[in-house]
Amino acid sequence: MPYPEQLVAPMRAELTSAGVQELRTPAEVDDWFAQSQGTSLLLVNSVCGCAAGSARPAVKLAMQHGKRPARVATVFAGQDLEATARARQLIGDVPPSSPSIAMLKDGELVHFVPRHLIEGQSAEVVASELTDAFAQHC
Amino acid sequence: MGTFHNDKGELHGITVYAQSGNTVYVGRCDVLDDERLVLHDADVHVEGPNGLGEDERTNEQYLQRAARFGVWKKHDLLVLPAAELGPVRPLGDLVRAAAARPAESTASAPAAPVADLAPAAADGAADDVVTLTPGAAAEVRRLLAAEPEPGRGLRLGVAGGGCSGLTYKVEFDRRRDGDVVVAHDGFEVFLDRKSAIYLRGITVDHQPGLTGRGFQFRNPNATNTCGCGESFAV
Repeated sequence: MPYPEQLVAPMRAELTSAGVQELRTPAEVDDWFAQSQGTSLLLVNSVCGCAAGSARPAVKLAMQHGKRPARVATVFAGQDLEATARARQLIGDVPPSSPSIAMLKDGELVHFVPRHLIEGQSAEVVASELTDAFAQHC
Repeated sequence: MGTFHNDKGELHGITVYAQSGNTVYVGRCDVLDDERLVLHDADVHVEGPNGLGEDERTNEQYLQRAARFGVWKKHDLLVLPAAELGPVRPLGDLVRAAAARPAESTASAPAAPVADLAPAAADGAADDVVTLTPGAAAEVRRLLAAEPEPGRGLRLGVAGGGCSGLTYKVEFDRRRDGDVVVAHDGFEVFLDRKSAIYLRGITVDHQPGLTGRGFQFRNPNATNTCGCGESFAV
C-alpha cells in the first residue's frame, strides 16, 4: 500500500530538484526507454530509510561527475506501482530490488546496483561506485 | 551496520546469506539472535546429490550471481533456527571482498587519470575545486614554512563523523597517486578523488587571533552545516 503522498513528496523532490526526471506512469516509462541512444541512469526510489537514504544523495553526488549519463530518471517503488513494474520489465533480467540503480547504454543494462549493495553504505561510497561505472561506460 | 531497531541485531535491514547443510538462504534480515534468523523477501537454493541446484548452479555459483544482482524472492518471510545455521553474513560482502582482492594485488598500479575522477579537473579547471582566501593561503604558507619535510602541501578531505554526518580533514601531507592537485602561490592543495566530489567549489578562509575560529569552510555542496562549521551533510 502506498504511503501518503505528503510523506514521500520530499523524497521525490530530493531527486527532481537535482534535475532527475521522475517517471510516474507506464507511458512516461515507455517514452523514456524509447530514447535508448547513449547512456542513461534509472534510480528505483524507495521509502526505505536504510538504503534509499543513501541511494538518493549518492545519485545526486554522482551526477556532479565530469562523465555522467546523458539522462537520469527515477521511478518510485511502492508508490507509482505501474510505472515501477513497467520499468522493471524494461531494465533487464535482474530481480526486482528497491532501491536500486540501473545504468543503460544504448538500451542495454551495463551496470546494476541492487539494494543490498546500497544498504549499510554511505552515500559517498555508493556515489564513488557509480562514478567508477560512469568513467567506464560514459 | 543496520540503521534502525538496534534491538533486532546489527544486521537488521541488511540482506544476508546463511548456509545450513546443502541449503543456502538469502534474504533481508529482520531479526538475528541466539534463537532465530528471520528473513524477509527470501530465496532458497538447494544443492542436489549431483552438487547442483534446480538452476544447474552450485551454491557458490548461485551466491556469486545473487551478490551481483540480488535474488528473486520465493518467500515473503522465513524463520530459521539459528543453531542450525552457519555464519550469517551480509550478501554485499561477497562483492566487496571480490573487489578488494585485485586492488590489493595492484596496489602499485598507476592511479586512474585525474580527468576520469574529478569533474573540475577534467576540463583543466582544477582551480575551481577549491579556493583559498588570501588569509587562508597566508596561514598555510606560514605553517608549511615550519614543516621540516619539503614537498608537503595542504591536504583537504572529508571523513564520516560530526553532528552533521561528515567532517572536514585538514592536514599537511605529500601528494598521492590519484590526487586532484590545485596549485596555489607557494604551495599545492591535494584532494583524494572522493573528497573532490564533496568539496568541489569549497572556499577555505582563516580567521586569526584569539577570537578567530581558525580555518573556516564554505562548501556549496553542503545542505546542512553544524553550528561550529566543522561538520556538514550533503
